[in-house]
Amino acid sequence: MRYVRAEDRLPNGDAAPGGRVDPSLMLGTWFATDKQSAGVVKVELSEREGAFVVRAFGAGSPDPIDWGEVPAIAYARSVDSGEGMAVSAVFDFGFEESLLAAYSKGGILVLDTFNTFKDGSGRSAYFSREFFHR
Amino acid sequence: MIARLSDRPSGTVAPIDPSPLLGDWINYDTTTRNIASLTISRRSEDVLLRIDDWGETTALPFSLTTAGGEAGAFRAAYHFGFARIAILAYLNKRLLVVDAYTTFHDDSGRSNYFARDHFWMR
Repeated sequence: MRYVRAEDRLPNGDAAPGGRVDPSLMLGTWFATDKQSAGVVKVELSEREGAFVVRAFGAGSPDPIDWGEVPAIAYARSVDSGEGMAVSAVFDFGFEESLLAAYSKGGILVLDTFNTFKDGSGRSAYFSREFFHR
Repeated sequence: MIARLSDRPSGTVAPIDPSPLLGDWINYDTTTRNIASLTISRRSEDVLLRIDDWGETTALPFSLTTAGGEAGAFRAAYHFGFARIAILAYLNKRLLVVDAYTTFHDDSGRSNYFARDHFWMR
């Protein structure tokens, strides 16, 4: 079994959990704790026909902007855990790509976005960090 | 076009300055089973991430608004064949918070996993 750091290795004697990470504990609708947020205002994590998906909404005026739904990847806390506690997904809007990466802790979802513009508008790539509750 | 209000353009845009990221970063946790240290450097227009034994890869710096200026975060990726690791990091004052999102692409049955570490600049 190949690895590039100790954390990639299964603890001695432990069997691999099978590779599937269960996102159940993260599923639901998450709302930005900052009601004045100019970034992401709502995130829906769900399973559709066995696939883990994320739908997000950006702050808009007068209404939030629906980003639609994209496939998501669930992550556990370790190689031998099957319990999901983090998620990543990529939204490609054509004019912009947003990488969403989030982890849940203590009932809060902490969301980082890495945003890159592809439209020649000259806008700078930027990072944001936001907090969500269910 | 925007996907959220924070995408709106500002009046003036400065190039992203990666300077706050550049240097040798050491993990506060000396017993970490994850990344012990890393180096971020600049070569011409490129920003490079080096992790011992993993080698060097391109890092993409991010500012904190569409106006650019000083970098506050970066992303990079390593592809090892059996695994891919996305390195997503941001600065919190003088602390570098590094999240590693690992997906396995072999038949080992290991779970994809998330790991976080905190680094100080040497």
